[in-house]
Amino acid sequence: MKASEGLFDDSVVYVTTQGTQVRTDQGRITVYDVDGDDGELASFPAEKLDTLNVFGGVNFSTPFVRRANEHGIVLNYFTERGQYRGSFVPEKNTIAAVRRAQYALTDEEELAIARAMIAAKIRNARTLLGRKGVTGTELLEDLRLRASEADSKDELRGAEGEAAERYFGLLDEALVDGWTFETRTKRPPEDHINSLLSLTYVMMKNEVLSALRQYNLDPFLGVLHADRHGRPSLALDLQEEFRPLFCDSFVTRLVNRGTITHDEFTQDNHLQDDSFQTYLSKFDEYMTEKLTHPYFEYEVTRRKAVRQQAILLRKAITGELDDYHALEVTH
Amino acid sequence: MTDELVNVSDLNQYAYCPRRYWYLHFYDTQGRSYERVEGKTTHENQSSRGDWLNELYLESETHGLKGKIDVLDLEGARTVPVERKRAESGDYYKSDELQLAGYCMLLEEHIEEQVREGAIYLYETDQRMHVPITEDHREAVRETVEAIQSMSLDSVPPFTDNPTKCEACSVREYCMPAETAKLEPERVAGTGWEDEL
Ligand code: SF4
Repeated sequence: MKASEGLFDDSVVYVTTQGTQVRTDQGRITVYDVDGDDGELASFPAEKLDTLNVFGGVNFSTPFVRRANEHGIVLNYFTERGQYRGSFVPEKNTIAAVRRAQYALTDEEELAIARAMIAAKIRNARTLLGRKGVTGTELLEDLRLRASEADSKDELRGAEGEAAERYFGLLDEALVDGWTFETRTKRPPEDHINSLLSLTYVMMKNEVLSALRQYNLDPFLGVLHADRHGRPSLALDLQEEFRPLFCDSFVTRLVNRGTITHDEFTQDNHLQDDSFQTYLSKFDEYMTEKLTHPYFEYEVTRRKAVRQQAILLRKAITGELDDYHALEVTH
Repeated sequence: MTDELVNVSDLNQYAYCPRRYWYLHFYDTQGRSYERVEGKTTHENQSSRGDWLNELYLESETHGLKGKIDVLDLEGARTVPVERKRAESGDYYKSDELQLAGYCMLLEEHIEEQVREGAIYLYETDQRMHVPITEDHREAVRETVEAIQSMSLDSVPPFTDNPTKCEACSVREYCMPAETAKLEPERVAGTGWEDEL
């Protein structure tokens, strides 16, 4: 089976094949082709799994859901196109004491965490540009300082906004011919690169969301993004530091290496089905690629680095650490 | 502060590293079954020694404890709880004695008779070791129960002073002793991790 349909990583599994059912069979989790005749498509040990992401027409057997609950496996539901729809959260992942600590954060404490996240984001933006040989990024350093000293969330958002504008203007230079950022538009994605960026942010948001869930934090209660019904504000907050570092660099890699070309988009700027499958498997490959951790100095996959940040965030919230230590890469 | 009954096997977890127990309690319970011995078949031949009982579940409000005794040996006038362990080293740990003492205290209340010893059966060596339960053991159980019951999310126990324990610890991934030493060195002051810096 294609990588995008099966086991990506030890702990996170994506099921994208339509017409399948996830079941449990002698202690293993299996994906079964119920609509077709292909039988068992994949199987993984239940102990290793912590997150299962299903896309579109995939369903779960009741015994499987019971097992997911026992093993603390989070189930995330997405549309076929990767839009988040909801989750099944096991009982053991809802530890009240942690939620209480999160709700009890003062404005000051929230601001301190948010400052660390945004400052890291700006720093990482500059690092990415530097790696691509883009110069003239000094202003970003000033904005990073402004962010790290902001007295209010509004001030912080201001610095962040300016930095983003400046950064996207420069990121253009990091792309091969035939591609351009020009303006970063949101929805609907007006061009192909924006479509890829949006998709990647959604994918990363899902990664962050699973990570927060895994460590019992409430992804819907943010420190910087305003809480709005149905919006995973804390996931969006934590995602900030990964945007330039992991998301934008992934998208530039996709287009610069020609993995995704302009021909692969539909009229309304979405990836065609086949290309979407390619995209998913590339994204997962990217998340399981190893890098040397900037502080810990050992090798971790990007996915693990994201999860570690969720743990560090939790530690800052529960008082195990004094500060939130964002993932900041300096060169 | 909670008055929830403490699982006897948690006495053992706590004795290994209080911080570890804190994580098992406030992170998730997935790692919990790790070191439990599954009810596998055993060579232990008990029937020749008299009557015995398998799996007796007991609770005690007085001691704040609950737990399941693996095997209960009824050797004539004495009743001896037996705890089965896997131990590659061929010996049991001090913390296993604590667990055994917990069972003895539970049993005592149940049968209204003093229980002065317990036994540890080691699968690897097929050996049964009798352990006299002293007042010190009982005191240690009472202290541990109290410590466990008064645990709260915001009173994180310190890192262990013996970093070799961390090597085999199933919660190391989120305890992050080495990482904490790098990020906030003052947090590991006074523990074995200080020297690792
Ligand atoms: S990693 Fe070390 S300090 Fe942390 S809980 Fe385990 S034994 Fe204790």
